[in-house]
Amino acid sequence: MKKYLSILLVLCMVLALAACGGSSDTQESAAEDGAEESSEPIIIGTISPNTGGLAAYGIGVTTGVELAVEEINAAGGILGREVQVITTDDQGDPTECLNAFNSLVAQGVGLIIGSATSGCTSAITDAANEEEICLLSPTATADSLTTEDDYIFRACYADSFQGAIAAAYAKKSGCEKVGVVYCAADVYSKGLYDSFSAACEKYGVEVAAAESTASMDVQDFTNQFAAMVSAGVDLVYAPFYYDVIGPYVVPQARAAGYEGIIMGADGYDGVPDYVVEGADLSAFNDIYWTNHYYPGDTSEKVQSFVTAYEEKFGTTPSAFGATGYDCVYMYKAAIEAAGSAEPSAVRDALADTSAVYDCVTGSFSLDSTGTPIKGAAIISFADGGDKVVTELVEVMQASDLE
Amino acid sequence: MSTFIQTLIVGIRLGSVYALVALGYTMVYGIIRLINFAHGDFIMVGGYTMIFTVPVALALGLPAWAAVAAAAVVCALVGMGTELIAYRPVRKKGNNMTALITAIAMSLFLENLAQAIPAIGPNPKVASQIFAPGGIEIGSVTMEYTTIFTIIISAVVMLLLYWFTQRTRMGRAMRCVAEDKAAATLMGINVNNTILLTFAIGSGLAAVAALMYMAQYPRIYTTMGSLLGLKAFVSAVLGGIGIIPGAVLGGVVIGLVESFTTSYISSSMADTFVFLILIIVLVLKPAGIMGKNVGEKV
Repeated sequence: MKKYLSILLVLCMVLALAACGGSSDTQESAAEDGAEESSEPIIIGTISPNTGGLAAYGIGVTTGVELAVEEINAAGGILGREVQVITTDDQGDPTECLNAFNSLVAQGVGLIIGSATSGCTSAITDAANEEEICLLSPTATADSLTTEDDYIFRACYADSFQGAIAAAYAKKSGCEKVGVVYCAADVYSKGLYDSFSAACEKYGVEVAAAESTASMDVQDFTNQFAAMVSAGVDLVYAPFYYDVIGPYVVPQARAAGYEGIIMGADGYDGVPDYVVEGADLSAFNDIYWTNHYYPGDTSEKVQSFVTAYEEKFGTTPSAFGATGYDCVYMYKAAIEAAGSAEPSAVRDALADTSAVYDCVTGSFSLDSTGTPIKGAAIISFADGGDKVVTELVEVMQASDLE
Repeated sequence: MSTFIQTLIVGIRLGSVYALVALGYTMVYGIIRLINFAHGDFIMVGGYTMIFTVPVALALGLPAWAAVAAAAVVCALVGMGTELIAYRPVRKKGNNMTALITAIAMSLFLENLAQAIPAIGPNPKVASQIFAPGGIEIGSVTMEYTTIFTIIISAVVMLLLYWFTQRTRMGRAMRCVAEDKAAATLMGINVNNTILLTFAIGSGLAAVAALMYMAQYPRIYTTMGSLLGLKAFVSAVLGGIGIIPGAVLGGVVIGLVESFTTSYISSSMADTFVFLILIIVLVLKPAGIMGKNVGEKV
């Protein structure tokens, strides 16, 4: 009798754990022996900031992944196996990110997409290598994340490229003196500052002023931009995230008397939804930023993705949606190349630098560290009357960095 | 020179927000010797209330800042509710330490409750423009209308509060309770009601502080009260906790220190200096800048 009771209790615990597993697609213990059972579903875990200050990123990634998985399953899955997704939330917090990672590992997940920010992803790269679990980040751009011979890959360019592209654009638009406002305590912001200023030096553009903030979400940037005004720069590189750009950085910079160009990076994706209603939108003129893709791109691949996404979710996909979508297809290509969903086999397939991935954010192969070699879209903001509008300026390739 | 003026303006506007928040800490501390850590979260309650009431005010043809009236009522109710449900029963049974822990628990409770409410949720919201955009040119520096209003409204509220505690019957009752509860009871003062009134006024002030804060920094999120509350608490302690002019002075000093550190020393060390100043002042003058011998509170 006691035996049955304990079995019953164990069953209850297993069910409770499965229920904790998160989102819609819960399942029993994941494939331990992976490819052996061809009928078993392939499970992909996602880690992204679905709530908190950077929720727009998480929502982008999870919806992009959801769309890709739905398409793949409708077309018969990968190697004839259905794909299932377990979604976890890191709230944009590195500690929570590690917790989310551990919970996925505990559920037997060997292929993970995440996380969206460099700060969070840097908290789990060591653990992923140790546990020999594939980590494919949609948008974590810090250079230090991926190295040769590891389990970490990404679907986006790295900051050394992104910062250099911004510097190349500054040079191209005729700026001679530039400044930087960044956060020295954040791996993303600091990484972009380093690569931007190094590239500026290479191009003979003077970095006349650099000011840091105490954290990524301080409330007042006025003094930093006042310092830019007194340094007399014509472009300020300000690598922050959308949640402070819209309400704080841009209006305060203009109020501090700074009228030049503000240049940013992929963290600016989502700014138009975070603008103060009734504010003076002319402040958003002359803002340029680098991104992974532009939804208005006329290529067939982008347009079919944008149409399918808009049909399903009713909004235009952000770059996070696009790279999240690409991550699933990169895993699909790697699993098919490996002929198995074993993490080590998928890793080897992803590490093959000759493989070409034909994705929404470009057609690319990965370099030896696992970072795509592809171009960056330069996008501008402008006052569109009642809202901030975006416009594609140009797409710059690695060859433009010469 | 323009950098100096700019830095001064930023410092004063930060300081006036801190001062308004610090008043709430100081009033409650003065009367029941409780550091109400939930006070920062009352700001959050006020901020979210206004996210919903500003569109209503605009629809009725009122200026956006009129929405603060509703927020003040909601904040006062939350403040009084906190006192009735959490603090009063604990004060009867426990000691100062249990009350302090209750205050921390209340703070976390409010933050998490806000996240759990679907209309609020864990994601930040961006407020509407409260005051007219633009400003006045002073030399090469622009002083925004928002900044001017922040400073004026803060000053007016502080003067009103000072007048209230010094001149009105209820204000006097508050000071009596602060000085000696037993004696106040003997003089016919309803101590419990007076404490409740203190919470109502302190929390109502939090709504005004929320208005000032969101006019200046239009991003509302559920944990916004924690660092803001901490800095305001530091302001109150710096000025001498329990003393109303002290809270104002402390707030302005903290705001100026933060701003000048950013401009002239190191922009990434602003918070370091704020807390360093606190330690130095407390070592030199443990009761705070305006603090005198114990017993002269509120």
